[in-house]
Amino acid sequence: MVFLTVANWVRSRGPDEFWRKRRIFRLAAHYIGRRRNCYSVAVRNVHRALVYATKARKLKKQDMIDLWSTRITAACEQHNITAYTLKEGLDRANILLDRKSLSDLACWEPRTFECLAAVAKEKMNLDGATDYADKQHPTGVNLKFKDVMLEAWLKEKKQ
Amino acid sequence: MSAAKRVQQWATFARSWHIFDCKWQDPYESANIIKKYLMGLHKPIYHPMNDCGDVVVCINSRDIALRGDEWRKRAYFHHTGYPGGASWTLAWELHNKDPTMIIKKAVYRAMKGNLQRRHTMQRLFIYPGENVPEDVLQNVTNQIRQIRLVPTRLDQIPEEVTKTYPKVMDYPEDYVLK
Repeated sequence: MVFLTVANWVRSRGPDEFWRKRRIFRLAAHYIGRRRNCYSVAVRNVHRALVYATKARKLKKQDMIDLWSTRITAACEQHNITAYTLKEGLDRANILLDRKSLSDLACWEPRTFECLAAVAKEKMNLDGATDYADKQHPTGVNLKFKDVMLEAWLKEKKQ
Repeated sequence: MSAAKRVQQWATFARSWHIFDCKWQDPYESANIIKKYLMGLHKPIYHPMNDCGDVVVCINSRDIALRGDEWRKRAYFHHTGYPGGASWTLAWELHNKDPTMIIKKAVYRAMKGNLQRRHTMQRLFIYPGENVPEDVLQNVTNQIRQIRLVPTRLDQIPEEVTKTYPKVMDYPEDYVLK
């Protein structure tokens, strides 16, 4: 997405010098010292800040993705499953949750996440794709899969 | 139970205390594990700006194990700030001076350098031996799993067990035991 308005607005050369500078000073209003009072310094810093803001729109999304991954890894560790096995197992069981929803569940609904981890592991076991890092302590041993009619659904082949 | 309290989780933000036995562990590998608990990276509620880190108590830091000849080769740099104030201390020298320093520096370096790092380090307690003050030990509720299994030495196994252990072979008659 390209924001042509902002670029045009920044670079626009109005007929009146006062108003042209005023636009820049408005954006530099929260700076300290000469950075907010002298135009030639302010305009440089405003331009730089706008570049940072442009780059940050991507970085912010990446930061959130990193945070979700950290949370999912932490939650997976509690259930002795690797994040890879969780993702792969859920994909194969046709549970298409993204990292945001998974981390929300891990944070706010730990029991739901425990069941998801158990389902992922069960699916991987049925497919014979056991990750040896997960073998130590199975999670969800006291969950009764047969009672909730999961078996047929779990044994579905991946599309 | 009201709908608002249905998912209430008590003590979510409580600080729990973990103990880690450094005996025969690589400090630089264990630093990554310790860091995880100190920063709260092991909790699904982790956020860099919420204070969810735990306390870690390291014991037996005198018995850490460095790889290869790192005791002789690894140097710790210090500069006093004055001209000619640089000094390089080898790992074994540092360990002789302060047996807690290597693990402390390893954990410090494992964490990203930001304003929070020094405060996080305050939550790390390191003891050279097994003698931990009672007021620290009574808080501990969890033990962190060691990375490497500490093997039992042959001279620590009682003689009856070694005698009855099945043999692979017998020494030849003319073999001279040192």
